[in-house]
Amino acid sequence: MQNLIDYFPLLMQGLKITLLLAVSTVAVGLVLGLALAMAKMSRHGWLSRPAFAVTNFLRGIPEFLVLLVIYYGGSQVLNDVLGISVDVSPFLAGLVALSLVFGSYASETFRGAFQSVPKGQVEAGRAYGFTAWQCFRLIQLPQIWKVAIPGLGNLWQGTVKDTALVSVIGLDDLMRKSNQAAQSTREPFNFYLFAALIFLAITLVSMVILARLEKRASRGVRRS
Amino acid sequence: MHAGGQVAAVNGSRSAAPVALEIRDIRKSYGAHEVLKGISLTAHEHDVVAILGSSGSGKSTFLRCINLLEMPNGGEVRVKGELIRMTMRRGEPVPADMKQVDRIRAKLAMVFQQFNLWQHMTVLENVTAAQIHVLGRPKAEAAAKGEAMLAKVGVADKRSHYPGQLSGGQQQRVAIARALAMDPEVMLFDEPTSALDPELVNEVLKVMRDLAAEGRTMLVVTHEMGFAREAANRLMFFHKGLVEEEGAPREVMANPKSERFRQFLSGSLK
Repeated sequence: MQNLIDYFPLLMQGLKITLLLAVSTVAVGLVLGLALAMAKMSRHGWLSRPAFAVTNFLRGIPEFLVLLVIYYGGSQVLNDVLGISVDVSPFLAGLVALSLVFGSYASETFRGAFQSVPKGQVEAGRAYGFTAWQCFRLIQLPQIWKVAIPGLGNLWQGTVKDTALVSVIGLDDLMRKSNQAAQSTREPFNFYLFAALIFLAITLVSMVILARLEKRASRGVRRS
Repeated sequence: MHAGGQVAAVNGSRSAAPVALEIRDIRKSYGAHEVLKGISLTAHEHDVVAILGSSGSGKSTFLRCINLLEMPNGGEVRVKGELIRMTMRRGEPVPADMKQVDRIRAKLAMVFQQFNLWQHMTVLENVTAAQIHVLGRPKAEAAAKGEAMLAKVGVADKRSHYPGQLSGGQQQRVAIARALAMDPEVMLFDEPTSALDPELVNEVLKVMRDLAAEGRTMLVVTHEMGFAREAANRLMFFHKGLVEEEGAPREVMANPKSERFRQFLSGSLK
């Protein structure tokens, strides 16, 4: 118990990194997912086909592999191409890898959500002089969330847990700090259990927040 | 109850009124299927034109070609004398200037069969959104205008509700208020009562009769023969993408010249 108290500040530093990575991943991943979804829905094949190909590829291989390719492969390519020695930071590699994966899955969630907005509403927007961009921003975008939030919530939970993978390439996150503490104190059970409880706490708090967001996004929907 | 004399007075001055909408030789095909084979229409200010026809006659497509929700394959549309400029791209006509189209669409407010209210906005937001984002009106002015129009169609008490909480008739009246709030040159009604339960049709028709009586310029695709006869000053009967019969509603309905229109009338008067 004393060990847990002694290591607590260190573990909290790790938690900070874990949360920072998870939140940054979602921020980048949401933008990427939205962009990929719009590319997929494009009338132009040169936009939609590559978007489908890339997301199918990324969803089809292990996330861990994506991370390794970006961390080790990224350094190698940068060195070979630019001829300079660049070290990709574990955080950056983790952010890129997890965002790519998040964005790929989110693009499918968004695509389904966009298709759930009745076409007539966009048509009404156009008929009243809204530009295509205004229709997107004022009519479609506000209405996708009630459909998209449950799916995005699942992705967020997955992302929080996937940050643990990034400890393998040396990110000082909660997982790595717990690992270090477990090894130096020889109390793996205590520290892994503690880490597990923290992850559980994050997901529980997220569920509450997501439920609120979903309720908010569903305003205007007839309750039956 | 209905002020028929007022309509007659408005109709009497119609030929002297300026032209609000001029449509020349609109054509539209889907692949090999020709839906509109060249339809022309000149509507003066205060005209109420009822467009009748069986399903598949092209009447809704015609209305949607006017504000370019459907892209016509040929023909011209002029609103208050201004021609919507078209150009050719890969053998298909497309608008030359989308900004012009958006500006003109704002003058041609459309009322849809399925209402198409924006579900995530309150009733008041529905009637102010286009005023603010398209016409650039200040929010307070848009809200005042919106409130006035909601009061006009009798749903002012629903301003904070969402469309999903209203009956079909109330939703369609909100949609009409949304159209009125734009101060449109011409109102386009695409079967506005066809999706309504029978007992809700009259509340919407009454609003439309009032609009006709106050001299709004309206194009109304409808199956409501009573409305066509009493509120419209012109009737067009579409058949297979062409205007089969046209004229003053009472006259052409009493003495239909074409056999098709005769059959259509006897069918719908059962």
